Amino acid sequence: MTIAAANTTPAPKRIPRRSNLYFVWRGVLGDPVARIAAAIIAGMVLAAIFAPWIAPWPPNEANPELRLMPPGTRGHLLGLDNQGRDILSRLLYGARLTLLCGILPVLIGAAISVPLGLLGAWYRGMGAVIMRVMDVLFAFPMALLAILLAALMGPGIANMMIALVVTLIPYNTRVVYAAACLEREQAYVEAARAMATPDMKILLVEMLPNVVAASVVYSCTIIGAVVITAAGLSFLGLGVQPPTAEWGIMTSEGRSFIFNAPHIAAIPGLAITVLVMAFNLLGDSLRDSLDPRTRLRLVRPAKEKR
Amino acid sequence: MNLTLFALGRLLSAIPVLIGVTIVVFLSVQLVPGDIALSILGRMASQEQLQALRETMGLDQPIVVQYLRWFGALMQGDIGVSLAQQLPVAQILVPKIWNSLILMAGSLALVLVFGFLLAVLSAPRFRSLTDRAVVALTLVLASLPVFWLGIVALYLLAFKWKLFPISGMYNIVSPGGFWDLIHHMVLPASVTAASSIAVVARVTRSRMIDVLNEPYILAARARGLRRRQVVLRHGVRNTLPTFASIGGLQIGYLFGGVVFTEIIFNWPGVGLQLYDAILARDIPMIQGCVLVVATVFVLGNMISDITVHALDPRKG
Repeated sequence: MTIAAANTTPAPKRIPRRSNLYFVWRGVLGDPVARIAAAIIAGMVLAAIFAPWIAPWPPNEANPELRLMPPGTRGHLLGLDNQGRDILSRLLYGARLTLLCGILPVLIGAAISVPLGLLGAWYRGMGAVIMRVMDVLFAFPMALLAILLAALMGPGIANMMIALVVTLIPYNTRVVYAAACLEREQAYVEAARAMATPDMKILLVEMLPNVVAASVVYSCTIIGAVVITAAGLSFLGLGVQPPTAEWGIMTSEGRSFIFNAPHIAAIPGLAITVLVMAFNLLGDSLRDSLDPRTRLRLVRPAKEKR
Repeated sequence: MNLTLFALGRLLSAIPVLIGVTIVVFLSVQLVPGDIALSILGRMASQEQLQALRETMGLDQPIVVQYLRWFGALMQGDIGVSLAQQLPVAQILVPKIWNSLILMAGSLALVLVFGFLLAVLSAPRFRSLTDRAVVALTLVLASLPVFWLGIVALYLLAFKWKLFPISGMYNIVSPGGFWDLIHHMVLPASVTAASSIAVVARVTRSRMIDVLNEPYILAARARGLRRRQVVLRHGVRNTLPTFASIGGLQIGYLFGGVVFTEIIFNWPGVGLQLYDAILARDIPMIQGCVLVVATVFVLGNMISDITVHALDPRKG
């Protein structure tokens, strides 16, 4: 009876093996929200690249007669700031530094964290030292460590980037370290060791491709927070300096005129919010499409869901 | 493990981290470009002044000696002398720490209450309209830069609609008591709390969804308990450790926000003091502020770890 019943139930369908890239592609492009987010980011990147051609005015050209004029002023779609500079043009030019300060520290941080995490997981003595140092860095709230470093190194874009990189390293290193510790116990690593493969070859050829995905996903989810922190440092006067256009410093400059001309601070801040939201949405979608617990929905027919 | 033993062990493990924090804060002075004495006193300083400052700061000693002297002074509550105000940093900071802690406590209360409410509202109705609305709300909250949200709230709620005072902790003309403080605190505390509410709500929600899928929830339902009872008694109970641990982590992130809200709402706390110190390049003061905040953060995490341990239903 039970045997007959078992025979009549259809065998579970074989789920085809797919590469990570396949899941990223299907997951992100199959998700309408992620598509919108990607389009917003692409739009802002294009605006940043082509700013000199599409901006109606030079970013630092001031027209004192029209200072503090609201959005919709003739020839100035988003109004003018406290010096009479066109806000739309500054927004387009400002996208360059805002994007750069959000993305570059994450890339540099990952480039440092991946080797640190891998080596730490492989050579356990070194790992213990590295992770204790990271524990100390974790004792500082993220924004605070960046503020401390940037404040003491002195204001400027390069110093702000260094401060952000140092702040990001412990987070990314922990992700890589955890992933590498799991990989280290896998059979393929044991096989490589049994064949007397040199350590460096095991790390770079065998383990790196399996560890790097975790770091990439983590990096994508953190970009939004880094954009906010970078803009915040500029807001505090520690990052980009006036008169350079950048969304954080534009918000900061507008703060003094908030009661007469609230649009000066409101518009760049809104731009930061939209950008960060787009990065967060894209990061979430990317994480879901690579998470083994949720990604199966991408290869299974929808009906079998739950 | 016994709770007291666990708390004791956790306290001991915080000590090396705190010592590490003092080392990082001490070494950060090395980042100051060029001659430290020169960058503090400015170009107009005479050689004698520079030499005097080097001696008082101990800059002419080997770095390990410098650290030990600095650490020894720190243990006696001496963080150095503020260059801008010519007063001991500790003396300036103590009242500000209280003001910041009041603001942080207000924010933390908002984070815990609203983070929890949003999670309990959404998780039992997974994928419903309410659930989607909560997820969308947390996404927006998590993406708002705190300094911008503060400016917008200041303009709309304090300036335009006059619902709340624009700045400070108490009414200057007639400083009231507790309710005056609360009235002044609503805006900065809510602005600080916004992104942390989102984080707490998201993490708690996803943990609760996992909990509600556990077999023991189904078993409780099968025994005839009402859904509401199951969610409130078993679901919430088993979600609490996750909630406490993510809530405790927010203490540090809240401070990252407090720096900005204190500046925007002119709240006389450590954040505003830090901003003034940055503008004045008052290095001992910057170090003092960072040290204070990092210590609060480490202790806060410790307390939250102990709470998590106490709340875990599997350990009595």
